[in-house]
Amino acid sequence: MRAGVIRAYILKEFKDLARTKMLYLVYILPTMILLLFGYGIRLEVTHARTIVLDYDNSTLSLDLISALEHTKYFDAHVSTMSEQEALRLIKKGDADILVIIPASLQKRILKHQKAQIGVYIDGAYPMRALTMQSYVEGEILHLAQKLLAKRGFDGHLITINQRTLFNQAMRDENAIVPGLIGLIMLVAPALLAALLIVKEKELGTIFNFYASPIGKTEFLIAKLTPVFLLHSLNIFILFLWAVYLFAVPFRGSFTLYWLASELYLFVSLGIGLLVSIITRRQIVAVVLTVIITVIPGFLYSGILMPISSMQGASAIEAHLFPVMYYNHIVYDTFLVGEGLASHKTVLYLGILALYGAVPLVLGTLLLRKELR
Amino acid sequence: MRAFWSVFGKEILLFLRSFGLVAVVLYAFTADIYIAGEGIQVKPRHVKVGYVDYSGGYLANKILSHLHAPEFEKPRAFTSVEALHKAIFDKEIIVGLVFGSDFERSSYRSHRAKVDALIDATAAAQSFVTLGYLQNIVLGMSDIIFPVDLRIHKLFNQNADSKIFMSFTEMLSITTLLAVILSAMVFVKEKEEGTWDIMLLMPTNAKTIILAKALSQVLIILGGILLALGFVVLGIFDAPMNGSFWAFMLLSLLYSLTSIGIGFFIAAASRTIMQVAQLTILIMMPLIFLSGAWTPIYAMHPVLQKFSLLSPLRYYIEGSESIFFRGASILDIWPSFVAVALLGFILFVVGYRKIGRLF
Repeated sequence: MRAGVIRAYILKEFKDLARTKMLYLVYILPTMILLLFGYGIRLEVTHARTIVLDYDNSTLSLDLISALEHTKYFDAHVSTMSEQEALRLIKKGDADILVIIPASLQKRILKHQKAQIGVYIDGAYPMRALTMQSYVEGEILHLAQKLLAKRGFDGHLITINQRTLFNQAMRDENAIVPGLIGLIMLVAPALLAALLIVKEKELGTIFNFYASPIGKTEFLIAKLTPVFLLHSLNIFILFLWAVYLFAVPFRGSFTLYWLASELYLFVSLGIGLLVSIITRRQIVAVVLTVIITVIPGFLYSGILMPISSMQGASAIEAHLFPVMYYNHIVYDTFLVGEGLASHKTVLYLGILALYGAVPLVLGTLLLRKELR
Repeated sequence: MRAFWSVFGKEILLFLRSFGLVAVVLYAFTADIYIAGEGIQVKPRHVKVGYVDYSGGYLANKILSHLHAPEFEKPRAFTSVEALHKAIFDKEIIVGLVFGSDFERSSYRSHRAKVDALIDATAAAQSFVTLGYLQNIVLGMSDIIFPVDLRIHKLFNQNADSKIFMSFTEMLSITTLLAVILSAMVFVKEKEEGTWDIMLLMPTNAKTIILAKALSQVLIILGGILLALGFVVLGIFDAPMNGSFWAFMLLSLLYSLTSIGIGFFIAAASRTIMQVAQLTILIMMPLIFLSGAWTPIYAMHPVLQKFSLLSPLRYYIEGSESIFFRGASILDIWPSFVAVALLGFILFVVGYRKIGRLF
């Protein structure tokens, strides 16, 4: 380890990055992804375009319609079109829900006979379809309870006293933005690191390294330090966006968030480094990095689906990727605030350190200092 | 024409010779789409439930016995509320139920009973739906006679099968990514090696060379789409194919040309492959996210909705979703075709000019 050599090489790497105008991309990219995804992903459904065909025209059906009209979840319109026409609108993607209230609904209910209400939901987006279904069911069940209360109901009744933890307002931002930090801090540094060595291989400048007396470790330290320093700043930038723009509460310790993020940065750099060492062409390195980081970073991160309810292959994959460990800690620091008091956080911090160390060590071993 | 075919053949050969690139493209069009499809089940599945039962009675057990597979895991008993809290904080449990010591008594005496439910709302979608299930179960246990039968039909995808949906959108995203990046790389690689200017100075028409290079990448992309469609989307996930296959292929062809137009722009703007990589991500991310692949467009922020009109992927997804799931014919969705073709034409022509300029 010669500090002078490393310093000189780091300086050269910084200049390289600056000359390719990469510096501003290092900061634009993460911020842009956070803003786009943060505003772009909505799990909650509001203003679902609902068509109501009312064949009953009774007080009950009007109650039902006004219940649908008076929530922000539905944009209900009573219409006189035929069922075929309404279904066609859904087919074209111009409506989401079709509610058909049959004639004699009120009459049958008053006589205690079974009545049916038909509901058609556009299922092209499965997640939205399920959410809309539970809204419609909820709205109608709620109406049922109100009706029963009016009639002076006197039977057994069990109610659920629900308390939502960590995200009391059920805001989408709170649920998504911390997870996005995990995605971004995996993709962006890895992408930059992935090109560091393979670029020299393709251009032939790697021979400078082969021929110079610089050691393998020194070379890697010099290569990774600029990327590490540049992206360390992003940890703070993303934090500021999350807390001030998206107004996500921050309940845990900032030191923990910061430390975990720096560790995670090592993981990301390690992945990029490995890709850079095993590939021979830049294009392969780029595509490979994008594919192995973006998909797990998003799907197996716990943003859309809790890790605990994954089963079989997907559960194994989720545990293989480093994202879930980091995201657990990030969600903890933002929404929960348990911190190091929870053994799981400590364990995951350890796993992250392991994930950070293994690719770096592996990369050092795999890197050759001579022509293949 | 001979110049066209020799450049075309050269690019295909270069692609096939690069073992790594072939492997990555194959992986992207098969395994990656499979992983994306398998990864997510939006329906609550195997939700971990924990409970503390201070009432020690029959009623609590009866409620718990309704929480069964595949929606719920077998409820786990905790001895105290603190232990339950800790498990929820560690994300081992998503829904925690607390039956107070007077739960059973008050149910028999006053006919009113309350269950406390603690819900981890960081998994917002799951907790919402789980809550709905719970409410239904509890309502079923109460003596309510409400004779309305809700008949819910989810059109086009009755079981809300997210595997088909996820694998399908992933296929479209991968198509975009690879089309843009491959076509940009084809040019920038030559730029980086310094052979591009020589290519343009050759006695053949520069336009022929550019066109041959671009179309060779279209062929690779269309081959990938066929592979993904046949093996993964239709094969493993057994997606419905309600519309015409050829309509979809036509749309894909138009769309690949559009993506290559984007590739031209990136190629014109960058000198090194590192720049291509960053620029591609910079352009791709908004393109995919404004396209409605993840959230429907009308559910977005109004400003983003306006921007999404510029994303060709939006029209591609709308068109192919209508073809696949809704069984629409070309006549039903001609706006998608026109929009993709129009955006493609503009991008292609302008990009074509930019890349064809010397130095």
